[in-house]
Amino acid sequence: MSVSKSTLRLAAVASAAALALAGCASATESVGSTGDSAAPGKGTKAVGFIMVGPKDDFGYNQAVYEGSQVIKKEFPDLDVLTAENVPEDDTAATTMEQMIDKGAKLIFATSYGHLDAAMKVAAAHPDVVVVQQGNTISGAVPKNAGTYFGTVYEPMYLAGIAAGASTKTNKLGYVYAFPIPQTIANIDAFERGAQSVNPKAETITVSTSSWCDPGKQQAAAASLLSQHVDVLTQHQDCTATVIQAAEKAGAMTVGYHADASSLAPKGWLTGAVWNWGPLYTDIVKTVLAGDFVGSKFNANYRVGYKTGTNPFVLAGFGPDVSADAKAKIDAAQKWLGTDAGSPFVGPVEDQSGKVVIKAGTVPTYAQNDALSFFVKGVVGKLAK
Amino acid sequence: MTAITSADLTGSNPAPVAVRLLKLLPGLGRWVLAIAAALAIFSVLLAVKNVNPVDAYSKMIDSTFNRPRSVQEIFVQMTPLVLGALAVAVPARAGLTNVGGEGQIIIGAVAACGTSLMLGDSAPGGLIIAAMLVASMVAGALWAGLAAALRLVAGVNEAISTLLLNFIALDVLLYLIYQPWRDNPVGQPTTKELVDTAKLPVVAAGNKVHIGLFIALGLVVAVHLLLNRTRWGFRISVAGGNAEAARRAGLNVGVLVISALMIGGALAGLAGMIHFAGVEYKLRPGFGNQLGYTSFLACWLARHQPFPIVVAALVFATLSVAGDSLQLDSGLPGSSVNVLTALILLAVLGFTTKRKVSRS
Repeated sequence: MSVSKSTLRLAAVASAAALALAGCASATESVGSTGDSAAPGKGTKAVGFIMVGPKDDFGYNQAVYEGSQVIKKEFPDLDVLTAENVPEDDTAATTMEQMIDKGAKLIFATSYGHLDAAMKVAAAHPDVVVVQQGNTISGAVPKNAGTYFGTVYEPMYLAGIAAGASTKTNKLGYVYAFPIPQTIANIDAFERGAQSVNPKAETITVSTSSWCDPGKQQAAAASLLSQHVDVLTQHQDCTATVIQAAEKAGAMTVGYHADASSLAPKGWLTGAVWNWGPLYTDIVKTVLAGDFVGSKFNANYRVGYKTGTNPFVLAGFGPDVSADAKAKIDAAQKWLGTDAGSPFVGPVEDQSGKVVIKAGTVPTYAQNDALSFFVKGVVGKLAK
Repeated sequence: MTAITSADLTGSNPAPVAVRLLKLLPGLGRWVLAIAAALAIFSVLLAVKNVNPVDAYSKMIDSTFNRPRSVQEIFVQMTPLVLGALAVAVPARAGLTNVGGEGQIIIGAVAACGTSLMLGDSAPGGLIIAAMLVASMVAGALWAGLAAALRLVAGVNEAISTLLLNFIALDVLLYLIYQPWRDNPVGQPTTKELVDTAKLPVVAAGNKVHIGLFIALGLVVAVHLLLNRTRWGFRISVAGGNAEAARRAGLNVGVLVISALMIGGALAGLAGMIHFAGVEYKLRPGFGNQLGYTSFLACWLARHQPFPIVVAALVFATLSVAGDSLQLDSGLPGSSVNVLTALILLAVLGFTTKRKVSRS
């Protein structure tokens, strides 16, 4: 093997150029991240929101985007930065740092899988507040971080009542993304809501391993419909595909994230939808005032019917929901708001029939956040 | 990059380099023209979206090149693209289309992760890194070897088999992070984070650029030499040009096909390891995030030539970082950067094709 001079020279040049550039970059490093770490985020000029999907997905990310626009309206002096399609990996940290470079000292990392990147950014920028939507920080919560979420499973329990009362085949279908506690709690609550009015109701689950993959959603919906499921619901970010598939097949739909009754005028039952505006506004106010450290948001903050401020609300009802079912839903919602109410009041049995939550126990929101098993009546295996 | 390159060149050896650069000019001119055309078309789209193009571009340039963090990010993102593109270039020389970078990258990262889990946290960092490097290359090579074997035994076109193997690789990854390797039984399915000693060292404290960049650039040179200065490189190009002629000339085309595709796979596997140990530190459901397909495009942009691959990877990485600016500075949708990337790709491939036709 002979190596020509020109080749060697090119090689040398390439590596020299790379070294030089990397050198430049490191020489000018360490800008930012200075400032008063005692009151992170105080008086910030900009607020950033990162979303895992498109801001018009008829779902989760659209709800986030609409919430961000409420901030824009409520705080006209603030520069509201939004970034969509931000993946749940290290690139999310890059995008957040771009926002910091643009003056943001408060960032909402809104997808479950953004937590690792959010924590990394919070650690590197003590003057910036990073709040994450939906996940849970385990262990000590840093001074400039927190998570927040609504108890999504409470409205899903109510939607389960609508589904259980309306199904003819006693088979409900659930298309979900990942077996994370939030999703497991939704599925379990949905099934228990259905059981509360229809003991024969079972929920068949299919996982797509993606928050938004219309191809996989289509396949999952088709598979559920072929198993004689007549009510479809989902835990996906973009919801249109599954809803349209159900409507086309003449099945009923329970929506998620956003009111999609326009997509399913016949089959729409109800759904659980977000209204983030008020909670986002609270967080921004707290941070602007410099009061974030030690506040309720500087923790794993959860709201629900018990606190009276659930950002997750029940959407309007479709034609198939009977007056009787509506009355039951209404009563159940009031009951969930009391100390004795919960979708998971014991006894709760797992799929094998083992009692996991003892009779009479009312689990806390924090305990529901760590739910890791399917209840009896749910069909489908959880990865163990 | 050009500025530094030419300065270095004139400093070391002025005369022949000037000649070399002059020869490059017409090609370079076409490139510049192509990119300018793409930007012009994109300007129209910007204007339709009520964004002032001049404003958008100047902000994009500012936030992409004037911020140290962005510049570092470009190099970080470029690294696996270089390797992924080389993984397409080597088989391409043998007339093979490797669309399986995505899967080979995932399998490489899986092998690296498995190796680190097997060795445990207490093993010396250098050993873990070395073992991960080897394991990822072997795994990537074997994964690509499957496609090569299918081609030789059953006549399956490798463009199809490598592509389909991507989906299997993703399922393997998902199985592993959902079950045996899952760090936390509740929460997002991921593996546990790599120990600090097993992470690829960065060039300077606080800098994101890691040594993977130099491994990648070193391999650009190595692949260049392999393709252009070795008997093997010559043979695969003969086999790629006309397999029948190669066979009659006494070359073992089967071995050449297998080896070219497996070397490609090894390079992609390494890209996976470097992305895993240099950036992500955990395997997540979306690991790689289309790296393989982007690399494939980068390789075509570079016309399968090792040194231009560096430029193409740099272009793609820059565009990816610049995408944030389009959203944050100009309020454009997140997908606009994909439109810009596609325009640049089409323009460059379209405007510079002549050169290839006249050469061949």
